[in-house]
Amino acid sequence: MRSRILRVLRPGEQADAESEQQVRTDGGTSADRPQRGAADSDARADGGVTATADQPSRARRWLDSEFVKSLPFWLPATLLVGLFVYGAIGWNFVISLTDWTGLRQPTYDSFDFEMYEVFFRNVGKGGLLSGPHTQEYWALRNTFVLLVVFTVAALVVGLLLAILVDRDIRYENTFRTIYLLPMSLSFVVTAIFWAWMYNPDTGMINETLRLVGLGSLTQQWISDPQFKLFAVMFALVWQFSGYAMVVYLAGLRAIPTDQYEAAKVDGASLVKMYWRVIIPQLRASTTSAAVVLMVFALKAFDFLFVLFGTRPGPSADILAMMMYRESFGITNWAYGSAIAMVLFVLALGVIAPYLYVQFKRGEL
Amino acid sequence: MTNDTNSSLTRRRYIKAGGAAGATIAIAGCLGGGDGDSDGEETTTASDDGGTTQSDDGGQELEIVHWWTAGGEKDALNALIEGFEQEYPDVDVTNNPAPGGAGSALDTEIQSRIINENPPSTFQIWPGKALNTYLESDVLVDISDSVWDDGMRDAYLDGVKEMSQSEDGEFVAVPLNIHRLNNLFYNVSVLEDAGVDPANLDSPSALLDAMETIDAETDAAPMAHQTQAVWSTLQMWEDVLIGHAGVDTYQDVIAGNVADNETAVRESLQLVADFREYFNEDAGSVAWDEANAKVIQGNAAFIHQGDWAAGQYGAADDFEYDSDWGNLAFPGTDGVYHVVADSFVMPTSNPSPEATEKWLSYCGSVDGQERFNPVKGSIPPRTDVPDDEFGPFLTAQREDFDNSDAQPPTIAHGTGVTPQVKSNVEGAFSAFVGNWNVDAVYNELTNAF
Repeated sequence: MRSRILRVLRPGEQADAESEQQVRTDGGTSADRPQRGAADSDARADGGVTATADQPSRARRWLDSEFVKSLPFWLPATLLVGLFVYGAIGWNFVISLTDWTGLRQPTYDSFDFEMYEVFFRNVGKGGLLSGPHTQEYWALRNTFVLLVVFTVAALVVGLLLAILVDRDIRYENTFRTIYLLPMSLSFVVTAIFWAWMYNPDTGMINETLRLVGLGSLTQQWISDPQFKLFAVMFALVWQFSGYAMVVYLAGLRAIPTDQYEAAKVDGASLVKMYWRVIIPQLRASTTSAAVVLMVFALKAFDFLFVLFGTRPGPSADILAMMMYRESFGITNWAYGSAIAMVLFVLALGVIAPYLYVQFKRGEL
Repeated sequence: MTNDTNSSLTRRRYIKAGGAAGATIAIAGCLGGGDGDSDGEETTTASDDGGTTQSDDGGQELEIVHWWTAGGEKDALNALIEGFEQEYPDVDVTNNPAPGGAGSALDTEIQSRIINENPPSTFQIWPGKALNTYLESDVLVDISDSVWDDGMRDAYLDGVKEMSQSEDGEFVAVPLNIHRLNNLFYNVSVLEDAGVDPANLDSPSALLDAMETIDAETDAAPMAHQTQAVWSTLQMWEDVLIGHAGVDTYQDVIAGNVADNETAVRESLQLVADFREYFNEDAGSVAWDEANAKVIQGNAAFIHQGDWAAGQYGAADDFEYDSDWGNLAFPGTDGVYHVVADSFVMPTSNPSPEATEKWLSYCGSVDGQERFNPVKGSIPPRTDVPDDEFGPFLTAQREDFDNSDAQPPTIAHGTGVTPQVKSNVEGAFSAFVGNWNVDAVYNELTNAF
């Protein structure tokens, strides 16, 4: 679903295309090649209309039409995406309207929104401000916090790294690899690394704090409810800000040097130049990075599962985890599906306003 | 960039999550790795055998799904399968493990396969109330006559037989091994340094006092524990409740009468919250075996854990039973054998009914249990298995079991409450291990059952 959005986004970045391509070759990256290829050939089909101007039979003409010619390029992908992404989402929605539990096939005789009612009633149970809160409240709240805070933090860190790496430093490639490397590691590996580092007794973080005389700041990072979610988000930002950096780097390379020079001639300070001139031109990069980062935020499931099993506790529970418990722990399939839909809408809801603004600006 | 592989991975994961939520049975069937594998295996064997997989005569294929993939467990299962193949050479065993502690991955695979009416021949499951999901959907075969013959019925103790039955008294499961939950293991030299005599520990409060002494006298953590995952603290509370208020109160509580036993429940929760002061400092960041290693290293005095912890002591160098480590029934729970068991069942729509019956009978036999349990570090549920193969520790455990007055089931290991209740209780405890708020967890417990 998201890569679909991405694909739609890509042609809009035509301006960046050339330099982006270059960065890709540098970094050995072939990310969107096939998609770009498809876009190109679409364009060629557009341009090729004149070639079919002879007077062939109707079938011949039909076969030569742009539509048919373009079929091989988009049909397989569309069918696969339609079935496995949108089909799955649609079916999931249908199941969330049933009362399916247990280990028998679902019955599709009555549909209602009961599961959603139960979910939102439980969210509000005990009051939104006072407590005690239900697992639904915590999971929803934490998921939202994770989506927003993690995405923003990873973007900011990634942007700063990209600006630094972009300033013609030495060993640029090395730095880029170092920052991107964590992303290639499995969550299972990084979760265990971070569990060791967060260990309050022997972990590197508390040891370092003690070493520099800040012993009073040591914490039970991943067991104290106050810090649990923060600790998880910190680890996730570490792992994925490298990705944001690469996307921003591509965006930065697309900005012609004369704009930097012009800003300098106009007497803009370094900060002002980036804030007023450079960063506003990185909107497209921000959108694509944000969409992908939000997918990574949903993947926090793996990270939490490795650390805490299916019960991370109220302070770090997320909807994905709750969905897994409801479905596979206690076979409440319909309720699990409803949670999945809430999660889906939540993810869309976070990105939609941004996409809309971009669309209005004509930048998509 | 790795982006392409990554985002397609994500998409697949996304679909899987959709399937996981019960979204698409068909898609789950196509993508679920386990399904694909097992299908493939079945077809291959079928053609090898000349298609006799389903027929009564000749070789039948028996597919066993289980979660025993760690060292000792795996060896134990292999020993069991070896014995089974000697006894029934006409059955081909397909060993299909679903790795993941306590069945976390197995549930996923089994449930989707049962919904697709493509179950394995047999699979591992906790007996007791954990069977509830399967019994409610009526997908387990009644094996009262075919497997549970008189010999087996005589050899099992009542508490264990009860766990193997549905509410109507039909036998549906065959328990293969039993672990004891209410153990308190200790490092002998740490206790000697602190001047604590384990023989004097007769209640959870006495244990609390002893830990205070250890804390004052030694550098070791009085109790090794992990709070990263919920189950260890939950099982500790279960035994504190038994030790503090007796096994009848415990049985009453897991039957759902929490409010009737308010004082006992609150006091036992408070004791656990008090224990917490004496846990190792990193309890929230370690797994149970890391905590257990502290006992071996002499960095912790006690640990409350099931007797699977003893396997780790056996594997450690220079750490011998009696001279270096000892164990006792958790203070106040003498005469109670708090049972954690594993069993095998026979799902309906079974691909190989005869072979499955043979397997279940073998799991319930003296020979099968004698091969499996010494390696696994558990005791056989049958009381007539000879002692020879079991070391001194397990022999002592067996003696306790044979002489036990009560064999209550557990919440943390699924035998005592339905999966729904277990989930609710775990939810309550997942907050408790962070805030140690007795009032809050008590209120949640009253709503959990």
